[in-house]
Amino acid sequence: MSNHEIRMRRKMAGRGADRFRNYGDVLQRHERELRLKKILRVFSMVFVIMIVVMLIVIVVRIERRFDKKSNATRSQVDHRFR
Amino acid sequence: MTEDEIRRENTIVERSKSDPRAFGELYEKYFDRIYNFLLRQTDDEDTAGDLCSQTFVNALHHLPKYQFRGVPFSAWLYKIATNEVNKFWRKNKGKKIFSLEEIKVRELVERSDEVWDEEIIQRLLTYLKDLPTDMLQVLELRFFEDKDFREIAFILDITESGAKMRTYRALDKLRQHFNLKVKYHE
Repeated sequence: MSNHEIRMRRKMAGRGADRFRNYGDVLQRHERELRLKKILRVFSMVFVIMIVVMLIVIVVRIERRFDKKSNATRSQVDHRFR
Repeated sequence: MTEDEIRRENTIVERSKSDPRAFGELYEKYFDRIYNFLLRQTDDEDTAGDLCSQTFVNALHHLPKYQFRGVPFSAWLYKIATNEVNKFWRKNKGKKIFSLEEIKVRELVERSDEVWDEEIIQRLLTYLKDLPTDMLQVLELRFFEDKDFREIAFILDITESGAKMRTYRALDKLRQHFNLKVKYHE
């Protein structure tokens, strides 16, 4: 079975097209989409920056915790040997 | 299309990249053709109108990336329109429609011995219905839109020889089935 349908039109198109001809509207839609795209780009950049900052904060905190732990064990060992 | 016309169009395209208002000239020039092309593939004026507007919005959107590839600018618009109509049918999960103008079919086919009548039209419709969709797309661009093989290849993302092959095969079948003389220019 074919996946298309064939129809025969007696009249030519053309006249009906004038109803949809509106370059002003096309231009407006284009500018709206462009603005939306810019906003989306800014949002995604902010989002990426936030994720990077959060990762940095998490890594710094983990490092600090490790430092504290290793300092504590070192002082315990020092204390025992004294 | 002459070299001069192509060069002139490219100047407008380059201007439109920085000033979208300049694109209005190309919009006016190609609106009817793109609209008719879409109407032929949807058989609905409102849908064709919407898809046509979307085609030009997309064209404006991607205009900064446009590069001349040896085919007229209109081929690029047809490519966008084809993508839009394919997207439309995928979304609506319907059968693709080819709504052909009878007068164009008459122009396309020259009957050599019989009179063009309803029965022939019905037989032709059945024949076209049984053709693979990609073959029909090539035929439509070649005979209803007067595109050359290079443009067809660009629009449908196939090779030039592929476009020729599909056309020859479809026409051979048409000749066998109908004993018709089909106007054909290389």
